[in-house]
Amino acid sequence: MLKNMLMAITLGTALAFTAYGYAETSPVDTVHESVDAILALLKDESLEQDERRTKIRAHINTRFDFDAMSQRTLATNWKKATKQEKEKFIELFSQLIENTYIGKIEAYTNEKVEYPGEKVKGNKALVETLIIAASADIPVDYKLYKKGDAWWVYDVIIEGVSLINNYRSSYQEIVKKEGFNGLLAKMQEKINELTSEPPAAPADTAAAS
Amino acid sequence: MTIRLKQLLAAILLLIFPVYAVSAGSVTPAYGGSTNLATLDSAPGNGMLADAGTPAATGTNPDANEDLPFLDDDDTVLDVYDPLETVNRGIFWFNDKMYFYVLKPLARGFRYVPEPWRVSLKNFFNNLRAPVTIVNATLQGKFSDAGYELTRFATNTTLGIGGLFDPSKEHFGITPRDEDTGQTLGHYGVGPGPYLVLPFLGPSNLRDTIGTFADSRMDLTYYIWGKDKNNYDYLGAILTRTINNLSLDKDTYEGIKKDALDPYLFVRDAYAQYRQNKVEK
Repeated sequence: MLKNMLMAITLGTALAFTAYGYAETSPVDTVHESVDAILALLKDESLEQDERRTKIRAHINTRFDFDAMSQRTLATNWKKATKQEKEKFIELFSQLIENTYIGKIEAYTNEKVEYPGEKVKGNKALVETLIIAASADIPVDYKLYKKGDAWWVYDVIIEGVSLINNYRSSYQEIVKKEGFNGLLAKMQEKINELTSEPPAAPADTAAAS
Repeated sequence: MTIRLKQLLAAILLLIFPVYAVSAGSVTPAYGGSTNLATLDSAPGNGMLADAGTPAATGTNPDANEDLPFLDDDDTVLDVYDPLETVNRGIFWFNDKMYFYVLKPLARGFRYVPEPWRVSLKNFFNNLRAPVTIVNATLQGKFSDAGYELTRFATNTTLGIGGLFDPSKEHFGITPRDEDTGQTLGHYGVGPGPYLVLPFLGPSNLRDTIGTFADSRMDLTYYIWGKDKNNYDYLGAILTRTINNLSLDKDTYEGIKKDALDPYLFVRDAYAQYRQNKVEK
């Protein structure tokens, strides 16, 4: 079992690299590979919690375009921000997104993921995935755009709610009330809170369900 | 007017927990596994495709400060009308406490019931809600959806033993639809109105509050247990449904509390997006 998974990871990684070098990978394959790789990491019991997180993070960094995400989240505030502010924001925002995304996917580690389809139009794509959980199916869609030969994720839509749109409204309100620096301070505070916590066992779902 | 509204609110508070009202502030349907019946055809983002043909990004690695204009096209900000924010935040706080000190401990206890049984209980209550979907799909002219739901109801009530199982989906591939009165009102152009956080029920808005009340009167749960106003059967049924759904939820609200800079805003904006997406479908 474990061996198979390791095989899968190795193969998956190798394939991903090959794909980068030679042919183009379709959006749905891009997402498929990533989700499989992350799920494999989550299920790999030989990994320490920290090691696992680091590996997942590294993987996400090769798929999620945090620059684009940051820009879309800040929208009009992006244009007003200075270069330093933008860089700081990207740095903090990527950490928050990673945490949220990993937290979500961790909760569904043992469920099956289906790939009902993709829609490609020019350099943008929407990949539909469906998490088949015992009590309900949860649609998770990925928005990607093409940069060079590779597809990059710039938004994740869970049950019709775009992560980026959601952050955008909240952040805009915080900027309005407390200014850009207030927002950065709040983000930093949140990250400190998240990292100082001992790595929680994936909630209490595993324990009792 | 005020008395009526009060009565309406009181009635809602006492009598109904909609299926999606998992609990208190936890509703956040957007991220809840337990919150609704996800449908296969729920993929959003068709708007995205309409705007193709926008200038393409070049293959170079965009610098952090380089603008990506083509990504701006779907930069809509959903402005949530929230004139009662102060009151709403108060109720949000109350719901938060209810969630962590009352409902969640109960749900955690409920997790000792084997999961397949709890899924069956959820199926059972969902099945009783079929008239809500059938009526509202019909009202919106979505006759095929209404037909599918009618088929689901007939199949699951019989073959699925009173709705405990979902053979329609498992064997015939007919996935559940999701329509309610709030969506019907939205379909005919009724706006959401002010955002409301309802005690115990969680995020809503004026339109959906009215819708939720109407839905509760189409839900068979009400006709099975709500007939006798002098006992607590109905409340018990609703509470069972809520706790059961919550026991199947994967700690959605905990995640939001942990991740969001301002959970109130996060839930509010997620709710608005979630409902708008439902109405548009």
